[in-house]
Amino acid sequence: MTATLENSTAGAPSAAGEIPSFDVTIKVRRYLPESSHGDEAYWDEYKLTMYGTDRVLDALHKIKWENDGSLTFRRSCAHGICGSDAMRINGRNRLACKTLLKDLNPNKPITIEPIKGLPVIKDLVVDMEPFFASYREIMPFLITSGNQPSRERIQSAEQRERFDDTTKCILCAACTSSCPVFWTDGQYFGPAAIVNAHRFIFDSRDEGATQRLEVLNDKEGVWRCRTTFNCTEACPRGIEVTKAIQEVKQAMIRRAI
Amino acid sequence: MQFHQYDVVIVGAGGAGMRAALEASSEARTAVISKLYPTRSHTGAAQGGMCAALANVEEDNWEWHTFDTVKGGDYLVDQDAAEIMAKEAIDAVLDLERMGLPFNRTPEGKIDQRRFGGHTRNHGEAAVRRACYAADRTGHMILQTLYQNCVKQDVEFFNEFYVLDLIVDHDLSAGHVPDGEEVNATGVVAYDLATGEIHVFQAKSIVFATGGAGKIFKTTSNAHTLTGDGMALALRRGLPLEDMEFFQFHPTGLAGLGILLSEAARGEGGILRNSNGERFMERYAPTIKDLAPRDIVARSMANEVREGRGAGPNKDYVLLDLTHLEPAHIDAKLPDITEFARTYLGIEPYTEPVPVYPTAHYAMGGIPTNVTAEVLRNSDDVVKGLYAAGEVACVSVHGSNRLGTNSLLDINVFGKRAGRAAAAYAKTAEFKDLPENAAERTIAQLEELRTRPDGERVSDVRKALQETMDANAQVFRTQESLEQCLADIRVLQERYKNVSVQDKGKMFNTDLLEALELGFLLDIAEVTVIAALNRKESRGGHFREDYPDRDDANYMRHTMVYRRPLEGAEGNHESVEADITPDTAFAHVSEFDTYKVVIGSKPVVQTRYEPMERKY
Amino acid sequence: MSTSTIANPRDPYARKRLSRTNTELWAWLFMRVSGVILVVLIFGHLFVNLMVGDGVKAIDFAFVGGKWSSPFWQVWDLLMLWLAMIHGTNGVRTVINDYAEKHATRVVLKSLLTLGFVITVVLGTLVIFTFDSCPPGSPAELLPSFCTAA
Repeated sequence: MTATLENSTAGAPSAAGEIPSFDVTIKVRRYLPESSHGDEAYWDEYKLTMYGTDRVLDALHKIKWENDGSLTFRRSCAHGICGSDAMRINGRNRLACKTLLKDLNPNKPITIEPIKGLPVIKDLVVDMEPFFASYREIMPFLITSGNQPSRERIQSAEQRERFDDTTKCILCAACTSSCPVFWTDGQYFGPAAIVNAHRFIFDSRDEGATQRLEVLNDKEGVWRCRTTFNCTEACPRGIEVTKAIQEVKQAMIRRAI
Repeated sequence: MQFHQYDVVIVGAGGAGMRAALEASSEARTAVISKLYPTRSHTGAAQGGMCAALANVEEDNWEWHTFDTVKGGDYLVDQDAAEIMAKEAIDAVLDLERMGLPFNRTPEGKIDQRRFGGHTRNHGEAAVRRACYAADRTGHMILQTLYQNCVKQDVEFFNEFYVLDLIVDHDLSAGHVPDGEEVNATGVVAYDLATGEIHVFQAKSIVFATGGAGKIFKTTSNAHTLTGDGMALALRRGLPLEDMEFFQFHPTGLAGLGILLSEAARGEGGILRNSNGERFMERYAPTIKDLAPRDIVARSMANEVREGRGAGPNKDYVLLDLTHLEPAHIDAKLPDITEFARTYLGIEPYTEPVPVYPTAHYAMGGIPTNVTAEVLRNSDDVVKGLYAAGEVACVSVHGSNRLGTNSLLDINVFGKRAGRAAAAYAKTAEFKDLPENAAERTIAQLEELRTRPDGERVSDVRKALQETMDANAQVFRTQESLEQCLADIRVLQERYKNVSVQDKGKMFNTDLLEALELGFLLDIAEVTVIAALNRKESRGGHFREDYPDRDDANYMRHTMVYRRPLEGAEGNHESVEADITPDTAFAHVSEFDTYKVVIGSKPVVQTRYEPMERKY
Repeated sequence: MSTSTIANPRDPYARKRLSRTNTELWAWLFMRVSGVILVVLIFGHLFVNLMVGDGVKAIDFAFVGGKWSSPFWQVWDLLMLWLAMIHGTNGVRTVINDYAEKHATRVVLKSLLTLGFVITVVLGTLVIFTFDSCPPGSPAELLPSFCTAA
């Protein structure tokens, strides 16, 4: 037991219990339409002293709370559950609260931008409405017919397992806004909507698969997926997004043939 | 400024708010105002499960559940409310399943259930499998399922709107309104974050479901946005807050970070150990050990650390040991929390124990309501058209300590009740006129804050508040520490008057909102500490080292705190007192420079269970 | 609230239009199926032209003329032409969809693409079917062996 104790303090090591600190430069893409910069986006650089357990969100908070109160971003739970703080960190979509600074090579400036493909409102805040509109279009709710059962619906553990992966989605938009197809004109439904359709299409209790497949058969639906795997890589919940999209495609082909 | 009129306005789009919205929107014209997108709410962070005596895996019934809830709450639970909750729990779970929630399943395909802290068979014999769950993201699935059904029902949301004022047709804040007089809630004033515009909502019924106030503490499992907005608004408008001294500290927060590791980890067999590798809970709760209620486990952990048996270089945490569990079992039942340990502490839970320490988790107290979720303005009278549900409310089903899983139950049972009651009332009621200047106070407050010259930083004041709360009002409290804390808060209240914001813009001004939220936090922290000072006993989540025993003779009552103006000394002194049940134990008044906080009390409803000593 | 206005919630976002046909499904499936067939056709073509017998040195007018006098090779090459052209054109169409941001740009590019497609396919098809293996008045040594010197 005690042997593992020494190792188990990886987050707060060294004999004195001091967490190692380091200097890091954060480059944030700013967009403040009300300021003198007007409609021009620009880069701001901040030099900070941070600690080994700090995340990108901590760095942003440090900037906002101690340096520049106008820096604007969304955040809530701060541990990767609410999906508020998806942003482009060093060119990759991630959640700021799940990305440790020490994992990002603090020797180089860390660039932070808003997620791409959605209209920027201010700094790192984007308009999520188009994203949620796509989500709503795929009918993300259980569709059944007939009377409600008097107890629960029966579903085997295997049937439940079938769609387990896609129930993890937190609607952070990291996947959709990492998709090059979505960047073009924002008309593509996007991975998140398809993942949430998948969650119901493969739920044994659901009877709305046909309607959802119909929606996603649209020219802006699953067929625009180019399997670049950006979405799978971006997903902070580890959902195999591209695989889910492929499964939806297969379901459509099975239905058509 | 924009004006809206709805039959029902629901403030907050977490579990309770959306559950209420599902009920209300099919009956009445309903709007949901939320400061976050609904799926960002902190209900989603709940992990372990939702208890209901379905008896899917072993014998169980709702009466045992009621008993556990009452005992877990150290008998400060209103037993009629607990009984309602335990009974309606079964339908609440089945409702969610029918809405599509993907519960884990038994081999027969029914909803699976697992053990959870404080939930026992036959009045404490042994731990029982009562918690229905979806891996370790039950709250996430509840939040998603409720939102999905709101999409289905086309519920109207006002996302990223902050409610900054509650409009009531009588000024309750002075304490002039005599008992029995009809008081109506008529609307709310909200601030559109995106544009900075003020919106006034007139409504027949208003449901508060704004959640908790965990950010008064530094180490907390709560989201940055849980700043007690609803509670503070109620307090400022003259409504009481009930049982604010009872704050739950969840035993297993990731050490140093406060991020929640579900009790399900212990429900699935995880064991707490001190630096000697000893399973110390055997000493504190010999029967159910690691699955004792949270207050007991949290205190035991803090005690181990205090007595020098903490682990780590600073001996400041204990260890949650999952290493004896099969990795496959951990992956199937606890995938998310093991990932937290890996991401944030770089610890592999398959092979290493996880450092944990209590983290501020849940406010048992809140806006007092009756069992139909109507808000009380003293121990008896309701405010017509005003409802509260979820963590912001105090029914009180949690008493002095909430059992694990009962919060998810609370939001579903009382969220549903609030939604139904609000819609039913809206059908019978007429719109009451709003005052001409309904939004004036809010606009003035915002303008003043936005234009205030450079002064204190929001973050400095907030940090100081959180630090003093952690140091002085956490798991162990004394008269001295609480007085210190209150003195600190008074200084901070003064400093708050000079707080300024850097962002002077209208659009998406989160700087401004953090300043407003800090005001809410200070008010909530203040009444929490005053209520804690007044309760000179130890019960549930409130542990006074100078009064380590439960004192049923004097303190078997709910605390009610009111905020009243100072000048009420002569003319309205009596009416102030009239609001409050006279009782020597609850006659404390704390005076500040512009207002005073008055303590009152409310009786505890007892039906079946006589208070006993709480042993596990 | 005398000057009350009932405000609309924020403008809803609308997708431009929904198309409820299977076009994209078939297009997607066609790409996979034609891809597989093209692999067979193209490698078969390369093998026969470049490796069988004298290999690449044997290719001359007579060789091509000889092949296209047979209905088998006519169908082979016709299939190859059509599948490759549709496959390639559809591929470029998706590239245009993915990378052209403006509707007008898309229309222009897709028009050019269609034009190119039509010209290539029509000309190619014409050539395959109207190819005269034995043009009169040509030296006999350049013609396939079955041409009777008339």
